[in-house]
Amino acid sequence: MRRMSEPAPDPREAAFLFDLIRTRYGNRLTPEQLEGVRRGVAAVVAQSALLRAVRLSNADEPVQRFVPFRADA
Amino acid sequence: MNPVFRPVRELAEAIRARRLSPIALTETFLERLERLGPRYNAVVTVTRERALREARRAEAEIAAGRWRGPLHGIPYGAKDLLAAVGAPTTWGAAPLRAQTFDTDATVIHRLEAAGAVLVAKLAMVELAGGMGYRQPNASFTGPGKSPWGPDAWSGGSSSGSGSAVAAGLVPFAIGSETWGSILSPAAYCGVTGLRPTYGRVSRHGAMALCWTLDKLGPLALTADDCGLVLEAIAGPDAHDPSAADRTFTHAAGDPAGRRFRFGVLRGVDEGAEPAVRAAFTRSLDTLTKLGTVEEVTLPELPYDAIARTILFAEAASAFEDLIESVAIAELTAPEDHYAPYARDAILAKDYIKALRLRGVVMRETDRLLAGLDALVAPGRPATAPPLEGEFRSLHRPALDPMGAIGNMAGLPAVAVPNGFSESGLPTSLQFMGRAWADDTVLAAAHAWQSITDWHQRHPAID
Repeated sequence: MRRMSEPAPDPREAAFLFDLIRTRYGNRLTPEQLEGVRRGVAAVVAQSALLRAVRLSNADEPVQRFVPFRADA
Repeated sequence: MNPVFRPVRELAEAIRARRLSPIALTETFLERLERLGPRYNAVVTVTRERALREARRAEAEIAAGRWRGPLHGIPYGAKDLLAAVGAPTTWGAAPLRAQTFDTDATVIHRLEAAGAVLVAKLAMVELAGGMGYRQPNASFTGPGKSPWGPDAWSGGSSSGSGSAVAAGLVPFAIGSETWGSILSPAAYCGVTGLRPTYGRVSRHGAMALCWTLDKLGPLALTADDCGLVLEAIAGPDAHDPSAADRTFTHAAGDPAGRRFRFGVLRGVDEGAEPAVRAAFTRSLDTLTKLGTVEEVTLPELPYDAIARTILFAEAASAFEDLIESVAIAELTAPEDHYAPYARDAILAKDYIKALRLRGVVMRETDRLLAGLDALVAPGRPATAPPLEGEFRSLHRPALDPMGAIGNMAGLPAVAVPNGFSESGLPTSLQFMGRAWADDTVLAAAHAWQSITDWHQRHPAID
């Protein structure tokens, strides 16, 4: 595990993702609400940049145990 | 005896000795819930009919010599995200006011089996705060109010669970925590709250906010009482695959003589309100009577971002139908009408990265806690916020490393009162332990309450 320097989120990524959400839901949101969503997307993108800045090894698995299902087992 | 503000253990002894009638006890708390509950916006439904039926049964069984244990005949309230037959289960949300279920949640079922008496479904922040609310007025029952101040928020999302215990409306309550929803109301209402280890308590019949973070636990007057309740509700459940195959036995022995090893994360109280820092500093001094206190560190990681990514991604899926429907516009908090849409910006790769980082955090935290009995920290960085205004910002969320680490790693924690601000609002201290060390954190909190009296102070109510 290695922590890189503090990342700077790319504003183009936030703009692109906001456009996606505006396409999906824009018709039900007021301009004020859309502005709130825009700020929320910027926060998500900044949050994701923090995660991407940490390097993990190939063996670091996600904590999400998969168990094959069999009803009679 | 006046049963109000008495610990469950005392009430249980009086009931067992037949000095206290479960029916009379239930009537006392039903009357207080109906008279005082609205003052704190603490109650959704008073379950009078069910309560009296369960109380009569308890009284008859005890009279016949069949005492089930320390919860037999004890009234309690449940956060309104737990299904209970005969009453609505609203999840605190206006569009779900009429929602009902035809079976009890496992926790309700287990408390009934222990002889406890359900007297109320208690108020909560709508959808347990899963839409991203930023101010106290986020429930169709109104903002939860702390009994310690006319303008003080009770905390959330287990708002009614905290204020009802603090106001003496119930001897104990069940709450839930995904991130802060037990410790926050415990702190702001000046009561004791236990967040059990993830998987200790079945969540069957409880609203899902975030499958890998949700926990159910008790709020009460003492850590000892929380242990009594945990013993009754813990254990495996075929209906909930996350419920571990472990039972829990509460050891209520005299803590005198036990020495604890406490750790304090470097800088854990930085940025906290002055009254909180002052109380925490005094608490660290007091804790030296119980053991050692040492400063410790964890690797520098984006703890809040990891926990928030997991929470937001899972909540977006858990409430997909509601978010996609027009019903979201019926929620109480205006920000809940639109804030969840931003979570569509979380990419699958980033969610998986958060789950991989979660494994690192779990291992690093366990390595640290293996040499300690508990990490200690302020229960919350501030006293109860006012009812008006935002307590956090959408684009600059308050950092909460203890909450992020403890919840993403599924670790148990107990919050206990440890002082008051100049304006009379309670402050809180938390003990957080290793996974499955619920007994250790309860013992530490019990030891704390054996040498302090903050938990014995109650607001002026009547």
